[in-house]
Amino acid sequence: MEDNELLADFVVEANEHLADIENQFLAIEEAAPNIDVNLVNEVFRAIHSIKGAAGFLGLRTVNDLAHNLENVLNMMRNEELTPTSAIVDDMLKGADALKGLIEDVENSNGVDVGAHITALERIAAAAMEIGNEPVSEEAVHAESSPSTLAETEPAAELTPAPAAPTGVPSDEELEAAINAKLAEKKAAKAAAAAKPAETTPAASKAIEPKAETKPAAAPAPEADAKDAAAKSTPEAQIRVAVNVLDSLMNLAGELVLSRNQLLQAVSTEEKTGLEAISARLDQITSELQEAIMQTRMQQIGTVFSRFPRVVRDLSSKLGKQCDLEIEGKEVEVDKTIVEAIGDPLTHLVRNSCDHGIELPEVRTAAGKPAKGTIKLKACYQAGKVRIEIRDDGGGIDPEKLKAKAVQKGVITPEQAESMNDREALRLIFAPGFSTAAEVTDVSGRGVGMDVVRTNIAKLGGTVDVESEVGKGSNIVVTLPLTLAIIPSLIVQVGCDRFAIPQVNIAELVRVRDSERSTKLGRVKNAEVLRLRGQLLPLVRLREKLGCGPAEGPVQGNATGATNVIVVDTGQTRFGLVVEALHDSEEIVVKPLGRHYKNCRKLAGATILGDGHVALILDIAGIAGDLNLRSDEELREKGADATTSAADKEDRQSMLFFKNNQVDNFAIPMDIIARIERVPVDQLDSVAGQEVLQYRDTTLPLMRLESCISASPGDFAESAYVVVYDVRGREVGLIAPELEDIREVPTVVDTVTFREPGVIGSLVTNEKTVRLLDLFELTQMSHPEWFSADSEPELNEESLPPMILLAEDSGFFRTQVKKIFEEKGYRVADFEDGKLAWEDLDAENHSYDVIVTDIEMPNMNGFELCHRVKNDPRFSSIPVIALTSLAGSADVQHGMEVGIDDYQIKMDRDKLLTAVQNFAGQAQQGRTAGSYA
Amino acid sequence: MNATTTTKDNLISSDQVQFSTFYVGEVLLGVDIRLVQEINRQLDITPVPNAPGHVRGVINLRGEVATVIDLRTVLGLPPAEQDRDTRNLIVHSQGEAIGLMVDRISDILTIRPDQISDSPSNVDGIDGKFFLGVHALQDTICVLLDVEQVLADRD
Repeated sequence: MEDNELLADFVVEANEHLADIENQFLAIEEAAPNIDVNLVNEVFRAIHSIKGAAGFLGLRTVNDLAHNLENVLNMMRNEELTPTSAIVDDMLKGADALKGLIEDVENSNGVDVGAHITALERIAAAAMEIGNEPVSEEAVHAESSPSTLAETEPAAELTPAPAAPTGVPSDEELEAAINAKLAEKKAAKAAAAAKPAETTPAASKAIEPKAETKPAAAPAPEADAKDAAAKSTPEAQIRVAVNVLDSLMNLAGELVLSRNQLLQAVSTEEKTGLEAISARLDQITSELQEAIMQTRMQQIGTVFSRFPRVVRDLSSKLGKQCDLEIEGKEVEVDKTIVEAIGDPLTHLVRNSCDHGIELPEVRTAAGKPAKGTIKLKACYQAGKVRIEIRDDGGGIDPEKLKAKAVQKGVITPEQAESMNDREALRLIFAPGFSTAAEVTDVSGRGVGMDVVRTNIAKLGGTVDVESEVGKGSNIVVTLPLTLAIIPSLIVQVGCDRFAIPQVNIAELVRVRDSERSTKLGRVKNAEVLRLRGQLLPLVRLREKLGCGPAEGPVQGNATGATNVIVVDTGQTRFGLVVEALHDSEEIVVKPLGRHYKNCRKLAGATILGDGHVALILDIAGIAGDLNLRSDEELREKGADATTSAADKEDRQSMLFFKNNQVDNFAIPMDIIARIERVPVDQLDSVAGQEVLQYRDTTLPLMRLESCISASPGDFAESAYVVVYDVRGREVGLIAPELEDIREVPTVVDTVTFREPGVIGSLVTNEKTVRLLDLFELTQMSHPEWFSADSEPELNEESLPPMILLAEDSGFFRTQVKKIFEEKGYRVADFEDGKLAWEDLDAENHSYDVIVTDIEMPNMNGFELCHRVKNDPRFSSIPVIALTSLAGSADVQHGMEVGIDDYQIKMDRDKLLTAVQNFAGQAQQGRTAGSYA
Repeated sequence: MNATTTTKDNLISSDQVQFSTFYVGEVLLGVDIRLVQEINRQLDITPVPNAPGHVRGVINLRGEVATVIDLRTVLGLPPAEQDRDTRNLIVHSQGEAIGLMVDRISDILTIRPDQISDSPSNVDGIDGKFFLGVHALQDTICVLLDVEQVLADRD
């Protein structure tokens, strides 16, 4: 038994040693002909440890193979051998074989690795022959018949039928073998200090009989070993950080304490303490859940690490030159996802290499560097993980895709006609769209992309594609952080309750009975919802799911309004009509039995607080089942006159609400954290401050009429609270009646209604609406929160930091400028990127920070940033981009041109902090620079 | 307790076998007792949209979600209302706990394998493919069900 334990430990340890070895070999190859001694040393040590342990455990084959690898590495680190691609190739194959052996360690002694050993020996021998001269590829491969000199190699002796082809050992080979022996001795000497007895004949002999009793149990062909290594092996064990364990222990302790309290309270029938105990239990459970989740989290790097090899092998096979850049290895996701994402990602990376990156001559002809780049990047985004596979290859031509799709009968010519480019690109995910050969013709992708999409959808994720012809493509995969527990909204459909994962929910829309005729409509045979000038297809869940009608009035929906949940699959966006909305809950996903494998609309089941089973809806499945066309097709053209007329102006998404019949207000959506609906009687007053008890915390509230000139609000039985963050606190503004959320042009009159708390006014739908400045409002009602504000750390001797501001919208320009100037910064403002660049280029001022809008005439923010970052004079100046609602595509593009930070235009707090940080850095840098 | 499947072969190899018997309609049926985990009245069944016709839905079985099969539909009998005798017989099949909804629970039947006779091609209009065999009692016969057949895919 002890032996088995030792063996298991060995396997774990060896796998750890081998985990990164591919990449290390590749790094060695890249550095060739130079030798990074430290790196080689590291690999050497790893292999050496394996060899030592294997010798100790009597794993002769492992020992031999490791020994030969070590040998070559040793020569490398002594600079007796110069690495070349061919050598690294053999070493990689050797390492693969070693992995294979360790995977099936029990039978490893019977596996034939003679071919690898001979290859490695040849390398060593060739190196010895030519002394310190670099070994050319020919020198290694010229000796094409690998000899199996039995007497020199114990492993070969063991294997009954060496895989090597026939061939009588020639003199050269004999000589090579002798040289190899010499090298081996040398290596052994080097290693002797650590493991003196590892290859003693006695030890070998003792094990020999054992090995012979297992006659070649598993002859592992090289390909197999490779496959095994490439596959993500589900781990039976997992490493957990000690601090996580400690916190688990602490939480367990607290849990026990709370249980004792609970038992006591129940036994003494004392009801008063129960609430506190239940709140405590609730908190501990949440923390425990989080801590346990943490133990399951693994770095996505474990998946990524295999790709350098994939790209290397594939590109050399295809005759392409390809670099792989990896970013975000440290991003952690649940281990089930880490295990399942490997294959789809491999597929995508291979695709990028195969179909994305062009051949070197094509690339040079197109004026691109011959070497293509694939970027693999992972990051967190809004509670999800975003993985991008970006290549700078030929891109995908939507027109060609359409033509192909029509030809294959995937879509009709009419559909193709009405498709925009984005939808056309998504055709690559359509089932049955294409096979490799056919798509390569149109320079597209599509090797089983529908399979990739299905697999990713199974994990609750989405995949999308962006591409620009000639510039490259970007595949974006979004995944949930964990699968086991998902936040969901519980809804009622007919008489049943269902859970909808919140990742899929875009927004909730309530259509009152009176608005039904204006907001709901029909296009052809499909029911649609008019939402901010767009038509969204509607799905009546009760009909689609065939649920029985609810018995009696539905709880939570007495008014007969239509509740629409707008869901988003990443591909399509549509509305689900449900009878009522219940709580949002964190649900534990339970699998459905085998009888439901054909239910595509369901993702699983869960058990609600009251013991009922609720089914979890699979939004992608529903969309697929209904064959929904994406929203863009149904967009209502010209429905909203302002939409098209004001296309070029800056637009801002605003929340409109009424305080009463006369006072209309607007707030930019960007700074709103969320909106709560509360019954009026829940609004509480403590020490003259209106508050809302909310999720165990107290939310301070403000009324407009107490801050600015407005009539008191009219309240129905419930009001809305607009929650936003100021100085890290949440504050609520009472909004008696919400009107709408709309994108409107920012044509703001900043004079007529200007007062502290009000930025100005704008006209929409023939009404004058006052635009609120939540920051100023808070400052007026709670000045004490701001008393500790630090002024920007201005260096007294030097001038205050100088900010370059580029913004085309006059309104925003004045606003932002004012914000900065109030804090003592100097600001130079420009109407577009071109003017800003001209000023910068003329070096009239030296700027500490550049703050720029993205969408501007003449020269946009990206272009400006690009120029700044590529000019050595300015490349060190930090660039902050201003945006209304940062789209992820924008952010991505921005990062590429070197934008340092993104800030939302109206979020003054964060903007100032960012500027302060960057300005501080820049000034320090300058001071330091001047002294240096 | 290793028996997770009941076949004719391993029925014959054991000395005595026990069957949990129950009624569906007027037919007395039995399943190998070793497959039965429990019998309960958990009839708060959540229907599952688009599920096969013989599946009633899912129940909460102490924190796990278990499928409930309507034996009446499987056996081709007319549907009936649930009443106070209706029970779920929870059986193990391929690592999953599955409920069989039955009209009324009866006794435990202990017999020797040689007392099981081959199944006729049908009993009261029920297809013989679901049967392991039949056992004749004094006044009636007990039909012994092949659980895997009952739970197998159809449509």
